[in-house]
Amino acid sequence: MAEEAAQRLNAIYELDQLGNESSRRLAAVIFTIGGLLVGGGVISLVAANWELLPTFIKVVLLFAALLGCHLAGYWLRYHRNSPRLGHALIFCGCLIFGANIGLLAQIFNISGTWHNAYAVWAIGSLAMAWAVRSWLIGALALALSFIWFAGFADDHHERLATVYPFLLAIFFLPLGVFTRSRALYALTFAGLISAMTYLAGNASNSGRLSLVAMAAGGFFSWTAGEYHRVTQNRPELGNAVAVLGGLAIAACAYIGSFHGLWSRDELSVSGLWLVPSTAAVLASAILGGRMWRQMNGEQRIIFTGLAMACLMVVLGMVLSSQRPAVLPIFGNLAALIIAAIGIGKGILDERRSAFWLGTLFLALLVLSRFLEYETSLLLKSLAFIVCGTITIVAGIAYEKFLRRKEVAA
Amino acid sequence: MRNKTALWFALALALQLLILIGVSAQQFIARTTGRSVVLKVQPVDPYSILSGYYVTLGYEISSNGGFPRNAGEPNTDPNPGGIVYAIVERQDDGLWHPVELASSLPTSLPENRMVIRGRYVGGRIEYGIEQFYIPESKRDVINKDLREHLGDARVELKVDADGNAALVKLLIEDRVYGN
Repeated sequence: MAEEAAQRLNAIYELDQLGNESSRRLAAVIFTIGGLLVGGGVISLVAANWELLPTFIKVVLLFAALLGCHLAGYWLRYHRNSPRLGHALIFCGCLIFGANIGLLAQIFNISGTWHNAYAVWAIGSLAMAWAVRSWLIGALALALSFIWFAGFADDHHERLATVYPFLLAIFFLPLGVFTRSRALYALTFAGLISAMTYLAGNASNSGRLSLVAMAAGGFFSWTAGEYHRVTQNRPELGNAVAVLGGLAIAACAYIGSFHGLWSRDELSVSGLWLVPSTAAVLASAILGGRMWRQMNGEQRIIFTGLAMACLMVVLGMVLSSQRPAVLPIFGNLAALIIAAIGIGKGILDERRSAFWLGTLFLALLVLSRFLEYETSLLLKSLAFIVCGTITIVAGIAYEKFLRRKEVAA
Repeated sequence: MRNKTALWFALALALQLLILIGVSAQQFIARTTGRSVVLKVQPVDPYSILSGYYVTLGYEISSNGGFPRNAGEPNTDPNPGGIVYAIVERQDDGLWHPVELASSLPTSLPENRMVIRGRYVGGRIEYGIEQFYIPESKRDVINKDLREHLGDARVELKVDADGNAALVKLLIEDRVYGN
């Protein structure tokens, strides 16, 4: 390659920066692991011996450790050319903050429900995550808040805990957007789906409600991801949450497709779990409406197909309270739609991952029905006929696509 | 931009400090302004990941059954999560024993009586004095001491005017644990 051409390629793709970028990332990872280790060490110290020092000295020491870590981190991040080390120190400061909560409980023999400690730790960490725009501290706060939520909801506070998915949407989703962190954004949606599923499961003795909440959360996640991709508004955030949402819907349909799981299931409904699930569906509808005009035909078909799959899960749940066999039928249909979407998208967009995911999902579904003892032969035959038809149609579509491509070439 | 970041950072740091102060403020006030009360205890020994080792303590005032019969309305109809006030009286053995369970803070009490604020949790009454943290090095010693002298275990509390209690010392016979 000529020297001039090499220089041009280098200028376009910033090839000389690739090494520096990976070195910087490595440094950030090393500093963060260091911060984690130091923070973990301080937490272990909390669980060890503290009787050697008088109370006043202990309190002064723990406040000094917190202030020292945070202030040194801030100084290095914003006033010296060490942003990664500074960030790691602030992250470490947030771990020390949590350790200090435990240490104060020890010093003053404070009793109380264990999850409250995680709540205040999460609040303090979240504030710091916003202040320094850190996705890593945000992820820490997210994990802590989820621990609090699980403990709080399990401690007979199901009604109040309903507010948690909204707190996630208000405080963590915007943080993911501002920090442009795919990881934090996707983790927040994972937290939303899990929290909604947990609330629905807690509100009744029926797993069917959890499926509905999971489908609603999954559809919200998928729609949000698609919105980023279609509108090109922070498109880098779209893929992970769209895939997450698709997987959640697929999981709902797959679990719902099992006949034996629901036949002896009794339904008793307590309504508050519906609030976050309904809000997720409404938010999905708003996002869908806003991006509808910018979507092409294929995107609209996929959106409608996934909406139908979710609707089938909901319908199956509602109707199965009278006839338990209805949910598996609707679950299977929903799963077939999802498999068809994956295969179709893979063929039309020439995306191998989507094609193989759809095909594998279909194969899993067929295998599950084949091995399922409770499924009647009539249902099995119906499932196989539908699967076979879809596969043949997909094959024909792919053949046509290949011919068009050959003609165009 | 940098000033704005500094402001947000300072606010977040201030919030963390305020949370830490808030966590211990009530206990600090009770310890510095409260009167001493000594109660008889019953221990168990769980393990907390966050806070190291501690013993969980129960008291006569931890259940409705520990109070004399017909000693107050909350005895008959406990409201889950509801606040109650245990009135304890100093008796000849030097310990403070339950005499009444009230649903509101008494306005005046004789010198030999004190009130401790509690809350119904899972059929029991908790006062925020149920956990006594023990150093790792003394864990086995204290556990053994508690097992062997269960009937002689007491705690010293500091109780402020509003009934908030702080657990200060664990006393087993003439041995004192805590500071």
